[in-house]
Amino acid sequence: MDQFIEQIITGLSIGSILLLVAMGLSIIYGSMGIINLAHGEFVMLGAYAAWMFQTWLGLSLLASLVPIFIVVAVFGWIIERYVLSLLNNRPLDTILATWGVGIMLQQAVRLMVGSELRYVQLPPAMSDSMDLLGISVSAYRVFLFFVALALFAMTWFLMNRTTVGMKLRAIMQDRSVSASFGINAKRIYALTFAYGAGLAGLAGALVSPLKSVSPDMGTGYVVDAFMVVVLGGVQSLVGTVASAFILGELSGGIAFLQNDTVAKAIVLLAIVVLIRFRPEGLFTTRVRG
Amino acid sequence: MALKSSTPTGLQRFGMQIAPLLIVCALVFALPLLLNNDFLLNKAARYVVLGILTVSLALSWGYGGILNLGQAMSFGIGSYAMAMTLKLKTIPVHTGSSGLPDFMVWNNVERLPWFWIPFRSLSFALAAGMIVPALVAAALGWFMFRGRVTGVYVAIITLATMVVLNLVIIDQQSYTGGFNGITDLAQLEIFGIAFDAYGRATYYLVAGCLTLSLLIGFAFTRSKAGLIVQAIRDHEGRVRYFGYDVAAYQIFVFALSAAIAGLAGMLYTVVMEFASPTFLGVQLSLSVVVWCAVGGRQSLVGAFLGAVLVAGMQGALSESAAFLETWTLVMGALFVLVVLFLPKGLAGFAQGAWRWLAQRRQAERELPQSREQTEGNA
Repeated sequence: MDQFIEQIITGLSIGSILLLVAMGLSIIYGSMGIINLAHGEFVMLGAYAAWMFQTWLGLSLLASLVPIFIVVAVFGWIIERYVLSLLNNRPLDTILATWGVGIMLQQAVRLMVGSELRYVQLPPAMSDSMDLLGISVSAYRVFLFFVALALFAMTWFLMNRTTVGMKLRAIMQDRSVSASFGINAKRIYALTFAYGAGLAGLAGALVSPLKSVSPDMGTGYVVDAFMVVVLGGVQSLVGTVASAFILGELSGGIAFLQNDTVAKAIVLLAIVVLIRFRPEGLFTTRVRG
Repeated sequence: MALKSSTPTGLQRFGMQIAPLLIVCALVFALPLLLNNDFLLNKAARYVVLGILTVSLALSWGYGGILNLGQAMSFGIGSYAMAMTLKLKTIPVHTGSSGLPDFMVWNNVERLPWFWIPFRSLSFALAAGMIVPALVAAALGWFMFRGRVTGVYVAIITLATMVVLNLVIIDQQSYTGGFNGITDLAQLEIFGIAFDAYGRATYYLVAGCLTLSLLIGFAFTRSKAGLIVQAIRDHEGRVRYFGYDVAAYQIFVFALSAAIAGLAGMLYTVVMEFASPTFLGVQLSLSVVVWCAVGGRQSLVGAFLGAVLVAGMQGALSESAAFLETWTLVMGALFVLVVLFLPKGLAGFAQGAWRWLAQRRQAERELPQSREQTEGNA
């Protein structure tokens, strides 16, 4: 029984990291139709920013979260403004452009701070483990779980209860009609992309104490995050949450029985089979194109 | 009269389309006459193999509109098929007792695993190197295209599949050689000709396969099926309403492209003398996309030249350590610029320039004629 609960908790922990990384990706893809292959590099930038704030300025991880969000969001805004907005009618080409940007970001970081592994310290208040249902769990992982949920709540609120969110949803339905109602689609798109990038940066900063920080750390995250989006279906934030935790529990469980690689392979096979029968993802209600 | 002379006849157009292809193949065949250096010849063969791989991507991406970010998966499967059979042909000094490959002996494997056994036959391996990637692609394509999955999802799923296969190969060390790959191979020998990686025979084999791949690709793009595939790329829905089975054509071009990539993979093992998990790595797979985009995705010859140019430049520059790091940065920037401003790559640029020149010449030729005509009428 203890082992079972432990597995569930491990799954939740993997799921919350997946959710953190996938949320920005899901918003950008769902609302703009842009496959952002540079997403992993935004995660990497966030992790490096956390490391820089810690080693150069002596800021603790929690204190540097807001500046990290802003820094990475600015990067995202610049990229949307000067690269992606030129590719309005070529969605497939955005994959290529963002990938090119990703290579450049990765290499720029490698040139500036070197390719050796970097380590970020846990916030001192959370370096212990705590007792949960009779099982000892790292306090930081519990914190991550709640941060992921909080960020999701914030994103949902932004999308559904604010003017900017309403404008974005209007553009998603019909760009030209909303433009004729006076919505500045360009500005909203740039803001959305910046927000998604900022979320990725936060995700990178938050996972940095758990894993080592390196220039190519993003590649692994971006593939996993795409699996979450494919499974959950686009344009569905709730779907993203559900599929992040389903995948988290699934990979945690299979990894416990077999190993990490087998878990990845089985999850992928399941998704490929699923796509044949529900190409729109598990949780999407059909929207008229 | 003027109208007739401005539109070339079918035969002329055929000639104009196949001419660049034949010229490039002739140049590739003529290269050993200029290069009297085994090391450089081996390098050239490597770039030509990467060129074949890029041609295979141009077929599925440029003509079929299927952006396969995992093209290196087929390449890697082909490469491993060749490496497995060549490994079993090594002299017993390099293998353990009863002909087991050395890395299996180190990993305490006692019997040859079942999927290695057929690779004792070279002809099986040569066929498997192309058929297995094609079957894998067809199966993956069946799930994706029957589910009417669009371009973006295809890109992600092909990428993820390749990443997972790569992880599995590294993980199953005792059966695949793991991270080190399969090394210390025997020489390929067909009909008594030994293909030494640094010899001319290997180079000509590679050049012959290039010609064959380009001709197959050329024939396919001009066939009826090829035209339908291009129509699907331009407007999938419209083709479906005409009653064509869209998914079947997509699966076919996807599998054809995988088979050619598998052929390239087999050649790569012969040229490099080993197979490694990096042959189906993200790095190579995405590089192929860059080469294809730079050369021109809608031109087979363009894609080939793109690979040779960019990969060759990369090889030349990365020999100096100072350039190795900045080169990646330059390649990223070059790629973004090409995507933004030259969506049809260098080939598209060349075609545009050629057409512009032809039109100008035509205009100059017609001007005096039309003047004569008007004078005659008057």
